[in-house]
Amino acid sequence: MTVITRETRTPAEEPPVPIDERVSFRGPIQRLLVRPEIGALIGTTAVWIFFWALSDVFGTAAGTANYLDVAAILGIMAVAVSLLMIGGEFDLSSGSMTGATAMLVILLSKDVGEFGGAGLSLFIAVPLSFAFAMMIGWFNGTLVDKTRLPSFIVTLGTFFILIGAKLSFSKLFSGQVVVEGLNEADGYEFWSRIFAAAWVRNDHLWEDRDVAWTILLIAGAACVVIGVLELSYRRATQRNAKGLIGAAIGAVVAGAGFYGLLNGEGVGRNVVNALILGVGVLVAVLGWAMWRFAPLGRRGAVTFDNGTGLLTLLGLVAGAVGVIVAIVLNPDSESPVGLLVSDSFSRALFAAGLGIAGLVAILVAAGKLPIWTPLVGIAVSAIPAVGYLMTQQGARAIIFVGLALAGLIALLVAGRRAAATSASAGLVIELLTAIVVAGLAFFIRSESTSAKFRAELFTVMLLIALALACSALLGYLFDTRTGPDATADARGQRAAVVGIVLLVVATALQMLYTTAAENETASGVIRYRISILWFILFAAFGTWLLLRTQFGNWIFAVGGNKEAARAEGVPASRTKTTLFMIVSGAGWLAGMLIAFRLNSVQANVGDGEEFEYIIAAVVGGNLLTGGYGSAAGGAIGSLIMSMSTQGIPFAGWNTNWRFLFLGVILLLAVIANNYVRNKAAQSK
Amino acid sequence: MTETVTSTPVPAPSDDAQPLLEVRNLCKYYGNVIALNGITTTVRAGQVTCVLGDNGAGKSTFIKIFAGVHQPSDGDVLLDGQLVKFSSPREALDQGIATVYQDLAVVPLMSVWRNFWLGDEPRKGFGPFRRIDIAKAKRVAKEELGKLGIDIRDTEQPVGTLSGGERQSVAIARASYRGARVLILDEPTSALGVKQSGVVLKYVVEAARRNLGVIFITHNPHHAYPVGDRFLILNRGQSMGNFAKEEITQDELTALMAGGAELRALQNELQAQLRDRSIRLDV
Repeated sequence: MTVITRETRTPAEEPPVPIDERVSFRGPIQRLLVRPEIGALIGTTAVWIFFWALSDVFGTAAGTANYLDVAAILGIMAVAVSLLMIGGEFDLSSGSMTGATAMLVILLSKDVGEFGGAGLSLFIAVPLSFAFAMMIGWFNGTLVDKTRLPSFIVTLGTFFILIGAKLSFSKLFSGQVVVEGLNEADGYEFWSRIFAAAWVRNDHLWEDRDVAWTILLIAGAACVVIGVLELSYRRATQRNAKGLIGAAIGAVVAGAGFYGLLNGEGVGRNVVNALILGVGVLVAVLGWAMWRFAPLGRRGAVTFDNGTGLLTLLGLVAGAVGVIVAIVLNPDSESPVGLLVSDSFSRALFAAGLGIAGLVAILVAAGKLPIWTPLVGIAVSAIPAVGYLMTQQGARAIIFVGLALAGLIALLVAGRRAAATSASAGLVIELLTAIVVAGLAFFIRSESTSAKFRAELFTVMLLIALALACSALLGYLFDTRTGPDATADARGQRAAVVGIVLLVVATALQMLYTTAAENETASGVIRYRISILWFILFAAFGTWLLLRTQFGNWIFAVGGNKEAARAEGVPASRTKTTLFMIVSGAGWLAGMLIAFRLNSVQANVGDGEEFEYIIAAVVGGNLLTGGYGSAAGGAIGSLIMSMSTQGIPFAGWNTNWRFLFLGVILLLAVIANNYVRNKAAQSK
Repeated sequence: MTETVTSTPVPAPSDDAQPLLEVRNLCKYYGNVIALNGITTTVRAGQVTCVLGDNGAGKSTFIKIFAGVHQPSDGDVLLDGQLVKFSSPREALDQGIATVYQDLAVVPLMSVWRNFWLGDEPRKGFGPFRRIDIAKAKRVAKEELGKLGIDIRDTEQPVGTLSGGERQSVAIARASYRGARVLILDEPTSALGVKQSGVVLKYVVEAARRNLGVIFITHNPHHAYPVGDRFLILNRGQSMGNFAKEEITQDELTALMAGGAELRALQNELQAQLRDRSIRLDV
């Protein structure tokens, strides 16, 4: 193999800093992957895209308000339960705790004589119910600590006590299993502003919203790009001012293209403006990199090993097959796709497959057959089952998306492998990938009738293609970082965080404000409840507490190795009891949000939901056995769960499917988290 | 902590000075099991007191009493001549008694710096905003480990990914940094290779030179004799003797440790076996 070497480094360049040879460099992606909540974040994105594609409402402000509303209460509890789980304990009474405090505050504030109410002002009743919650938390914690019984059993006891108390007291005082009339209590005005206020989007008009949104979006994207570049490429010792000029020119050209796109009419002109925009961005990014980063010394020849070549070919073939399937299958057919031969044959196949799977499983358990053999039977029965459930339309979408994604992943992997040996080979494959993405974008646009796909997905895919092209050229022209650089790390992270905040603010503006034009076509009132704000505040508090405070360090320690923590002087009993009190405190907050929103509370509110909190915490990357996890993960887990449960009716499916969906998500999340955690442990 | 040996004149350890830590007739019972019976020894500042014994001799129970994990059933513990009773590890730590346990007392899933500072995290800010000073925590942890000759790659990495010697060094560096007056090391060399054991032994001497009282638990007399000033030998909960270095040789120490008579019996048995084999080889 001949290697073309072009030495572009100037001799004046600084001698390389001695690097600890045991430290392998971690790029921005590996850096992200060691976070416990990253699996859940990817899952959230996947679930969001899934329901965005299936439903017209899910991605809009109305859908967002809907699933955030569910996520809020679940999330407040999931954050607290995550902290407790990291501390190594469970609280099964947390679900019925929400209903208990909600009911208590109503009973305390009702008139004297009426159903035995205490007739207290809410200014007393609300703090009193908080005190009650603290007491239950203290009781749980102390009992677990003193008896050394598993918290599972102790809090199961509290769970039944709370359920019994709720039912009996509500029956005793009101004669029914519901207490109501919180809005008649003294001080209701004041407290309902804290626990039940809402932001009505339809009342908040802002005509220039989209201008602000666009500016924030562009600024945010620019910051993220700058941050990622800083983390990825090696800084040059001498900056090249020419690059900065290039970046400025590129930015102006991109701006002109963007302006043209906004104000232009007609397809032809749009294409020209889009091209100007794309070239402008490319020039700007390359100019910026030329200003800051060291050029690559050795680029190598365009050669790749057999594996890489095969992977590239596979990627291209998968994409092509996907496109052919999409063209061949009828996009409008609602008829089932899988009844290949006849109805009775399919049924027989289904029954036979199921029977074989069961029989084979017994033989596997007896040690007669290898472990994977039941899968054959499952596959045999799945073919007619899936065929019966799926329409031609659905099969077409699934096969196309699946093959296109598989092809792109193969190409991306091939590109990385090629770039590792030769920058030139990497450039070829990565540019090829960008072209494939752009091609798929145009194909989707030509095939789809939905505005969502024709406009939004098309634009996003073209931007991805542009980003891939930029990344390909950057990898070819500049030297990738392989060593630690604290300054670059700090700068890059700061820029990326600022960028992400700007993007979040931009999205929030779209969701919170409306325009007169949008209001006219709106079909209903969109309300964001204050519980969402409480959720965000509580998740931020939990994350700060866990990662930044002494108490947070103790939570990790008592969950990871209680005896070690105690020997080092950590007050383990106090830490655990405080954690139980945080959970019951969160239960109180959720209870207040429920009570003030509904003004009446059923005795069974919250019962059984403790498992949903635990699922959200586990999906969010918390280790069931304690010592590892993140509070933010619990919040993200609750987002996945609420998106799933709310997205299913939006997609027009029977809501009973949600349990099946939740089960699958739970399993996938746990497996993914386990995999990521093992990977993280290996990357020393 | 930053004092070096040259800048601090270390008073010559003398048996006339008041001992830092002293136990008299210490007993510990678990129900009807006698774990320790009538143990007496002293720990002086700037000296290493070795506690030797085979498995199950009661070494761990002995040090857990100083560490505040267990309370003695009978007998006195004196710190600076004052009678003391530790009801929790926190109290022992506050009195300047730091312990490095055999099971290391580190939390494997937590990062190096979080383990280093566990229970005594440096903090900044006021009132409800008090938080860990993470920059300082990481910097000091790296520095202190560096002083032990362990260059930790990244203080963010979980302790579970470190080697046994590195874990040990995290625990030792932590105990010494906490401003301990008495440093208890529970079998610090038992899980280590030859070279790493040497490093740890050097650190034991270094700690004593900084005028700390060191209690060094081991079942290896070859590790104990070179560094120790006083030897307490335990066997099945009983004291087999409490000697100053000049009162005992290394061979005597080894013999005592295994329970002299038993070792002689073992030697005879081995020799008999060897004789048998040589006879068979001759044939």
